[in-house]
Amino acid sequence: MAAFPINSNFQGDFVMQLVPVDTEDTMDQVAEKCAYHSVGRRVAPQPDKVMRVRLHNASEYFPRDMKVSDASWRPTETLDIIFADQ
Amino acid sequence: MYQIPRAEWYDLTRTTNWTYSYVTEEEMFPEEMSGARGIPIEEWETYDEPYKVSYPEYVAIQREKDAGAYSVKAALERDAYVDRADPGWISTMIAHYGAIAVNEYAASLAEGRMARFAKAPGNRNMATFGTLDENRHGQIQLFFPHANIKRSRQWDWAHKAMQTNDWASIAARAFFDDIMLCRDAVAVSIMLTFGFETGFTNMQFLGLAADASEAGDHTFASLISSVQTDEARHAQQGGPSLKILIANGHKEEAQKLVDVSIWRAWKLFSVLTGPIMDYYTPLEHRSQSFKEFMVEWIIIQFERQLADLGLDAPWFWDDLTNDLDVTHHGMHMGVWYWRPTVWWNPAAGAGPEDRKWLEEKYPGWNKTFGKCWDVITDNLNNGREDLTLPETLPYVCNMSQLPIVGTPGDEWNVQDYPLEFEGRLYHFGSKADRWCFEQDPERYKEHQNLIDRFLAGQIQPADLPGALAYMGLGPGEMGQDAHDYAWAAAFKKQAKVA
Repeated sequence: MAAFPINSNFQGDFVMQLVPVDTEDTMDQVAEKCAYHSVGRRVAPQPDKVMRVRLHNASEYFPRDMKVSDASWRPTETLDIIFADQ
Repeated sequence: MYQIPRAEWYDLTRTTNWTYSYVTEEEMFPEEMSGARGIPIEEWETYDEPYKVSYPEYVAIQREKDAGAYSVKAALERDAYVDRADPGWISTMIAHYGAIAVNEYAASLAEGRMARFAKAPGNRNMATFGTLDENRHGQIQLFFPHANIKRSRQWDWAHKAMQTNDWASIAARAFFDDIMLCRDAVAVSIMLTFGFETGFTNMQFLGLAADASEAGDHTFASLISSVQTDEARHAQQGGPSLKILIANGHKEEAQKLVDVSIWRAWKLFSVLTGPIMDYYTPLEHRSQSFKEFMVEWIIIQFERQLADLGLDAPWFWDDLTNDLDVTHHGMHMGVWYWRPTVWWNPAAGAGPEDRKWLEEKYPGWNKTFGKCWDVITDNLNNGREDLTLPETLPYVCNMSQLPIVGTPGDEWNVQDYPLEFEGRLYHFGSKADRWCFEQDPERYKEHQNLIDRFLAGQIQPADLPGALAYMGLGPGEMGQDAHDYAWAAAFKKQAKVA
C-alpha cells in the first residue's frame, strides 16, 4: 500500500485536481475518491450512472476491479472519470 | 540665456554612443545581457524610437502627473469612498495592487537592463525614462493602498503578495521573471514592451480606468490613468528592435519572442483581468465584457501592429480567440472556489441578473459554467457552505502556473497537454503553454509548480491548511465571498416570489 497522486479530470467539472489514491485501490475506489472533490460540489450527481476511469482521452475504460498497482500509471497521470451506463 | 531649439540638438544627444578604448565591445556589451545576436552595432544605431522626449520635458510632465494623482487622492481621502464602495470593486483594487505594484519595481530593473546594455543608443535613452517610470509606478501603487491598511490586512498584500508563495504570486513571478528579468536587453524590449505592454497593460489600465470612473472611484481612475500614459510611451521600445531584427535576418526569432510573450501574458491576464471585468465590477458599472476588451485591444490591435512590422499573427491566434469564451470563466470559478488561497475577497458575480448578462455576452454560459454555479448556488441555499470550499489543490500548468481549466457542464471539454521530458512528467493547460516550454526547455525544466512542491514534501503539513500557511495567508487575509453569498440568496427570493 502506498499513496499515489493522480490528476483527476472529472466529467462535467471545469478544472483538473490533484487527488491522492492508493496503489491498492480499485478503479471504482479511484472514481469515488475523485468524485469526492467534484460531485455535489460543482457537478450534479447522476445516481443512475456508474463512474468509470480511463486514461485521458482514451477510448477504453479500465476494468472496474483493476488495481492502481496494475495500471502502469506514472505519478500524476491524468485520468478522465466518466459517467457511464455500466 | 539663448537656448538652442530642441530639434537642433535632440538627434545628436539621443544617438550618442561611447567610443571605448580600454575594453572591447564584447566586454562593454556582453551578449547575454545585450542580445545583439551578431547584428553589428552600426545597425543598432539606426534604432529609431517613435516617441521622443528630453529629460527636462520628461521631468515637467511627470511632475504634473504625480501632482494630479496625489491631489485627487488627498482631496477624496475624507470622502472615504472605500467605505461605501461595492465589495466587488474593493476586491478589484486589492487584487490589482497585489499583482502589480511590486512587479513595477521589477520592471524598473528590466528597463535598467536596456538602459545599460542595449546597443541601440535610442533604446538606452528611452529605457532610462522607462526605469524612472516603473519606479514611480511602484511607489504610487504602494502608497495609495497603504492608506487603507487600517480597513483590512488584505490591503497590505500590495507589498506582501510578491514576497510570498501564494499560487497567484508564483504565477505572476514566473511570467514576469521570464519576460523581463531573465532576458537580454533586446528580448526585454520585445517581450516586455511590445508583447506585454502595448496590449495587455493597455487593457488592464484603460479597462480598469473606465470601470473605476463608472464606479465613481476617481482616486483609482486618476492613479491608473497616470500610470498608463507612461506605459503608452515606453511600450514603444520594442517596435524598433523588431524592425532591426527582421531587417537583419532574424525574423523567425523575433516572431518567437513575440509569440511566447503574448501567450504567457494572455494566460496571466485571464486570471487577473478576466474575473475583474466580468464578475467583480458591479454589473451597472461594466463598460465592456472582458472578451470585448480582448478583441479590441489584443486581437485587432496586435494583428494590425504585427502586419505593419511584417510579422505574422501568432500560430495560436485561433486557439486564443476561442479561449476568450472559456479560460477566464474557468479561472474565475477556480479563484472563487479556492477563495481562502487568495488575498482578496472574490465576488462570485453569479446572481440572477449577472447570469443574464453573462449569457448575453457569452451565449451558452448557462449550460456550461452555469451548470457548476447551479450546484454551488444550491449548496449555499441549503446550508452546505462546506461543499463550496476546497479540500484538495487544483492541478496547475507547468508553464502558466495556473489551474488547468476548460469548458464544464453539457459541453465538457477540459484538456491536459502532457509532456515527458528527461524522465519528468509535465502538465500544461494548452497546446501553446506546452509549445512555450518546448522552445527553451533548459529555461523552464527545473521550475517546480505548486503541485510539484506539494508532492516533493515542501508543503507541510501536506494538506490544505499546510498549503495556506505555505502561501503566507493568515487570518483576516484569506479570501471570502465578497458579498457574503447575497447573490445566491437572491435565487431563493426569486423562487419565493414565483
